[in-house]
Amino acid sequence: MNADVVREVFFWGVGAIMVIAALRVVTTQNVVHAALYLVGTLMGAAALYVLLLAEFVAWAQVLIYVGAVVVLMLFGLMLTRAPIGKANYDNSQRPLAAVVAAVLFGVMSWILIDAFSGTELELAGENAPRTQDIGAVIFSSYVWPFEIVSVLLLAALIGAVMIARRDEPEADKEVGS
Amino acid sequence: MELTGLVQQSVDWHAIAPELVLAVSAFIVLVADLFLPKEGKWIAMPLAAAGIVATLAAVVSLAGDDRGTFEVAGSATFVVNDFALLFKGLFCVIGLFVLAISFHHFRSGRYYQGEYYFLMLTSLLGGLAMASARDLISIFIAIELISIPAIVMSAMRKGDARSNEAGLKFFLFSVLSSALMLYGMSLIYGLTGSTVLTDIASSIGSIEASSEPVVVLAVFFLLVGFAFKISAVPFHFWAPDTYEGAPSPVAAFLSTASKVGGFVGLLILMFEAFPSVADTWRPLFAILAVATMTVGNLVALRQTQIIRLLAYSGIAQSGYVLVCFALIESGPGAAEANRQALTSAIVYLAIYAVMDAGAFAAAVSFARKGGSYFISDYSGLWRRSPVLATLMAGFLVSLAGTPPMAGAWAKLFVFLATVQAEVYWLAVVMGVNAVIAAWYYLAVVKAMFFDQPDSTEAVEVPYLLRAAMGLAAAALVAVFVYPPLITDLADKAPL
Amino acid sequence: MPIAYFLVLSSLLFCIGVYGVLARQNAVLILLSIELMLNAVNINLLAFSAHLAEAGVPGQIFALFVIAVAAAEVGVGLAIVILIFRNRQNVDVDEMSLMKW
Repeated sequence: MNADVVREVFFWGVGAIMVIAALRVVTTQNVVHAALYLVGTLMGAAALYVLLLAEFVAWAQVLIYVGAVVVLMLFGLMLTRAPIGKANYDNSQRPLAAVVAAVLFGVMSWILIDAFSGTELELAGENAPRTQDIGAVIFSSYVWPFEIVSVLLLAALIGAVMIARRDEPEADKEVGS
Repeated sequence: MELTGLVQQSVDWHAIAPELVLAVSAFIVLVADLFLPKEGKWIAMPLAAAGIVATLAAVVSLAGDDRGTFEVAGSATFVVNDFALLFKGLFCVIGLFVLAISFHHFRSGRYYQGEYYFLMLTSLLGGLAMASARDLISIFIAIELISIPAIVMSAMRKGDARSNEAGLKFFLFSVLSSALMLYGMSLIYGLTGSTVLTDIASSIGSIEASSEPVVVLAVFFLLVGFAFKISAVPFHFWAPDTYEGAPSPVAAFLSTASKVGGFVGLLILMFEAFPSVADTWRPLFAILAVATMTVGNLVALRQTQIIRLLAYSGIAQSGYVLVCFALIESGPGAAEANRQALTSAIVYLAIYAVMDAGAFAAAVSFARKGGSYFISDYSGLWRRSPVLATLMAGFLVSLAGTPPMAGAWAKLFVFLATVQAEVYWLAVVMGVNAVIAAWYYLAVVKAMFFDQPDSTEAVEVPYLLRAAMGLAAAALVAVFVYPPLITDLADKAPL
Repeated sequence: MPIAYFLVLSSLLFCIGVYGVLARQNAVLILLSIELMLNAVNINLLAFSAHLAEAGVPGQIFALFVIAVAAAEVGVGLAIVILIFRNRQNVDVDEMSLMKW
């Protein structure tokens, strides 16, 4: 079987899983299930990144997104001791939301297919950038945003601790509120 | 092993000096806070102020320079020029002003003061980085650095459910707007194959006709993303609730530094990368500007609480700045017209930041002791506290765009640019809106001077706030008397 | 393989995310929907990056920055959710007036 066919089958399989999982994320009535379905979409995305020859980003996706973000969310849900049962989490705008999303999808996919229909991806991988190249460029040309992100992560860390920590009882009372 | 593709970069340290000084000051504040005794935590504020003054000195030391560093394929992604320095200076001034508003508020309340000043400095750092950013990645990171500390700051009244809600609402809108903006950016990257704005500008002019709808789609998402940040209608819902729930000095910060930061990013993107395809996206801005001005002003008419009034007035003011984007032209002769649109946007933002911060300072001063946030309590303020009443009136008159304050010039310049670009219908909408706006600003002024007060107790205003408001009002009067103070700076500040 | 495959998949995920943001009223579920949208962005970036071959490095770097910033955002967001829960002793984040826009 030729490699292109394998890739195509792989894409359709992974893509179908991602879409089904994503649909469950936005329709399930259980918050923990939604977080777990999100893992399905995120892992599918990581598989597509491998197909697109971006191994490093694929690993970052698995480690940071699946490993940290989703686990953090599950911990957050645990800490709030949410009853992990069913509840109604949708608001009354569901039909309207569905129409908006469907129209948006129609317009976007029509525009994108029209503009990019002739473009073929070469996924054999001879010319793909290697992780080494990414490291070299990120620490030379893009070192400035990299440094700014480090400040951003520090601020987010300090801020999250300050917001989430439990204060001494009187510290909650403020003048003028 | 040989590292292929490693581009040797020599960093221009002087060019990034303001950011470095500000980042170091933020860390000093954070570390100093650990060692300060509980009753001495307020010392974080003078430390932060010293850091901003040092940053301002670094900005001034670069005056007149034209530098670039951190190159990607030969184009600088970080530039220092008059435009960047003007906004860096403005961010520093706003920062000092917000510190002055914050000091008494945060010292008398039970807040985490050291963390607050640290977060404020990092958010300000985002603003400084934004003014120099010239590629999509830097712009995205800068806007996130402005927003994320600001989200935390708006949830700082931890015991108060309204502040919690303010933080959550701001958070969700902010993350959503980032996602929309990023989608637009990813399409731009796909169309042009570059994240650097100068490269995008040169290749987007020559795209095929079949790709033009993609440009419109990308600009649409970018615009929606930024519209949340600058609270333009119909993406403004978060702003009044967040301003009301957040500590009032934080509301002042959001309405000035954070909003100006968003506008700076939008100015850089639109004037640098996309003028050559302006015909395709200009209507988006015109619609957004009209909706923002009109809805902001009409809803402001019904407000009874001063912070919400200022929030809606700030929304309406965003609309006037958006008008400048609707004047961008494409084609060979467009450079001069675009320069004028850019200059009037810069002048408007600079004057807006000062007068809005002043109005917030006056509102905070009045609510501190003996007053409240309700507009009805402003009745007869002139008899209780003539100085505060005069200052507040000055800022409101300036926001309304009437002489003798600088706000009049801000509106006039945008109006003239609109007339000169021959977009008369937009000029008419602006004029009608200025009249509506004058109504609610002057209603407050009238109540302060001509109505009877409920109590005769004088409103006590701390010296720090008096000095800050006095300086702001003096600056606004000075610019009204001699507008070249700001127009000369803005005139020589192309991107 | 046509690049349009990836772009359409990404726009589908993006629109599912938009639906979730509009139709949900629990803060955590809205956040999950926004994560779907961010993933759509990354699929776009990497598809375009693959198309550019050697010149596609910035696209991958952009995607890495998106992942890093998303992690920071989730940390702050969950801190606020925990704070709200503690103050209300109540998990019905959706009962907040603000969630009904």
